[in-house]
Amino acid sequence: MDITDELIAKTVERFAPRGGGGTVTNILAFSRVLKGLGVTIGLSQVLDSNRSLHYVDVGSRYEFRAALRANLISDKEQMPIFDRAFDLFWRARSDVDPNAPSDVPLPPDDADIEDGSETESTEQIMAEFAGAETGRDGETEPLTLPTYSPGESLSKKDFSDLGIEESRAISRAILLIATKIATQMSRRKKRSSKGQQVDARWTMRKSLKYGGEVVELVKRKRRIKKTRVVLLCDVSGSMDCYSRFLIQFMYGLQNELWGVETFVFSTSLSRITHLIRTKEIAGALERISHSVVGWSGGTNIGRSLATFNRDFAPTLVTHRTVVVIISDGWDRGDVSLLEHEMQSIKRRCYKILWLNPLLASENYEPLCKGMQAALPYLDLFLSVNNLNSLVALGRNLQRMVA
Amino acid sequence: MKDSDNLSIDKIQEALRKEKYIADRALATVVYLSIAMGKPLLLEGEAGVGKTEVAKVLAEIMGSKLIRLQCYEGLDANTALYEWNYPKQMLRIKLEEVTAGDRTAVETEIFSPEYLVKRPLLEAIQSEGSIAPVLLIDEIDRADMEFEAFLLEVLSDFQITIPELGTIRARVRPYVVLTSNRTREIHDALKRRCLYHWIDYPSFEKEHEIVSAKFPAMRGHLADQICAFMQQVRQMNFYKRPGVAETLDWASALLALNRDELDEETIRETVGCVFKYREDLNHVAEQLAAKKIDLDGTAKSAQSL
Repeated sequence: MDITDELIAKTVERFAPRGGGGTVTNILAFSRVLKGLGVTIGLSQVLDSNRSLHYVDVGSRYEFRAALRANLISDKEQMPIFDRAFDLFWRARSDVDPNAPSDVPLPPDDADIEDGSETESTEQIMAEFAGAETGRDGETEPLTLPTYSPGESLSKKDFSDLGIEESRAISRAILLIATKIATQMSRRKKRSSKGQQVDARWTMRKSLKYGGEVVELVKRKRRIKKTRVVLLCDVSGSMDCYSRFLIQFMYGLQNELWGVETFVFSTSLSRITHLIRTKEIAGALERISHSVVGWSGGTNIGRSLATFNRDFAPTLVTHRTVVVIISDGWDRGDVSLLEHEMQSIKRRCYKILWLNPLLASENYEPLCKGMQAALPYLDLFLSVNNLNSLVALGRNLQRMVA
Repeated sequence: MKDSDNLSIDKIQEALRKEKYIADRALATVVYLSIAMGKPLLLEGEAGVGKTEVAKVLAEIMGSKLIRLQCYEGLDANTALYEWNYPKQMLRIKLEEVTAGDRTAVETEIFSPEYLVKRPLLEAIQSEGSIAPVLLIDEIDRADMEFEAFLLEVLSDFQITIPELGTIRARVRPYVVLTSNRTREIHDALKRRCLYHWIDYPSFEKEHEIVSAKFPAMRGHLADQICAFMQQVRQMNFYKRPGVAETLDWASALLALNRDELDEETIRETVGCVFKYREDLNHVAEQLAAKKIDLDGTAKSAQSL
């Protein structure tokens, strides 16, 4: 799975309150552990889990676990993390508190406030969760103005030869571009006035000026369904430096539009949509690169696409979906499988884009077998190796989605 | 079971079972918590594992009304909440013109509850009686983001403001069950307000129990075979993996045909109950021909590993 046992143990160690503490303290601490492991939790969820303990038998480890899980977890993928963290944390708790029996959680106790002066107070921790809650909704957050504008030199520079400072600057620029494209896309869909359906409400309203006589029929158009964009990103060794930036680009789109799903693949495929749905993308990327099997390893595009087609495409890909594949096409797997899978994606989706960073180099020809097999199924074959190419990609996506 | 104070997890599980819904304890716990805490319940899982059924059975055991809001792309507040009955209003105005009556009286009249078309959400909030209704918001993932935001508002206050009539507050909080097939992610803000539960495909034992509960007349051996078959095909690579709904369809088809044994022949004739895509039908035929599927019900032990 994504998260190692050591990481969980370390996080449990970090947030575990010293000297036992009451239920509230422990639930808060446990929520912080989960948060530290990448689960998004708001204060209301923490409070509700505490409230829910009044209704279950806290002496039963099973009920206690079920109550906490129903409140704190809202994603199937996070269940294994919860279960492992739960086992470690609540065992750790009962070790510390000699009063608690070995595998039974502590009884609820509302009037409980941490006394220890060197540790953080319960209120402080709660404030941390409350902050996360309002911050993540993001509706009231003012849009930050560009603090960096991609200069001529940077916008043409290949991603593979960036320094640390430069890559930070590029990351910021990428997010800005993505946000801008995304807002343009969503605005474009609202403008539609002609259509098939009669809008009774507006017809009535308009008829008032003719004394209630219906003269004009006001019509409305069904809103254009927002296209889903599915990104399949090759993170094998040869693609590493490019993938990072592309995932950031997708992250930018994902935060502004709904319906962006992100996957990474090398020898196998993993879905990372939920992992990059966070405010802090750099840390998330770091975590992902540690957790994804085969990051910077070899490539098996065919098998990865097969997994995608079997497990995800049926629900994620519709005739309005744009599938974006980012890979250099160096494939060590079965080429006929790749071809077959490309065909089945093609049948299901609206457009397939293939982004290949190598395309930019002057003497590039798609000679490797994987790339050749895929070529007939592509709607667009683009290069992505610098900022300018990302802007071009954005424009293309915008046209397809609008 | 009308008094929610006397409920317990055991009672819920028992009551679900009485309604022929076989639930594991985790599901019974969240259903109970949802009732006790007044928090909406968000159920996710593959198609056909019985998400919607939970709400139906819940309404049954609480002895309350089930109000269903089926979500779809483009569902808006007008279809979910309320709408004025425009044709009726217009007719009323026309009639008034003939008789030349009092204008203001007409105006207040056409904006009275009589001219209001109640949609599921308003119905749930305005429901009469002391027993809270069960509000099922089905396949929320099909509705769009804007509707989700709107729903969030309704679910947090359980009140609705109609400009012409004023604010309508729920006398009793409805029990809310949301289901999602996960064709897209639900927004965090909505998830946070719900208790979450993932309904998985059932184990062999559980599925067997479900089949036996629904079809008491079925012979144990046939039920064994059906469930073993389903357990195996769910491990295989199909475009659309069959859920419990398909199992039950199939079981009832086999009963209707008076079969009491599954052989290749029978499967070939009836497998249309289980698989609905041509590719899947071909695939299952191949698997059968290659003897990859064990029909003797001995797969039971292999599956429980």
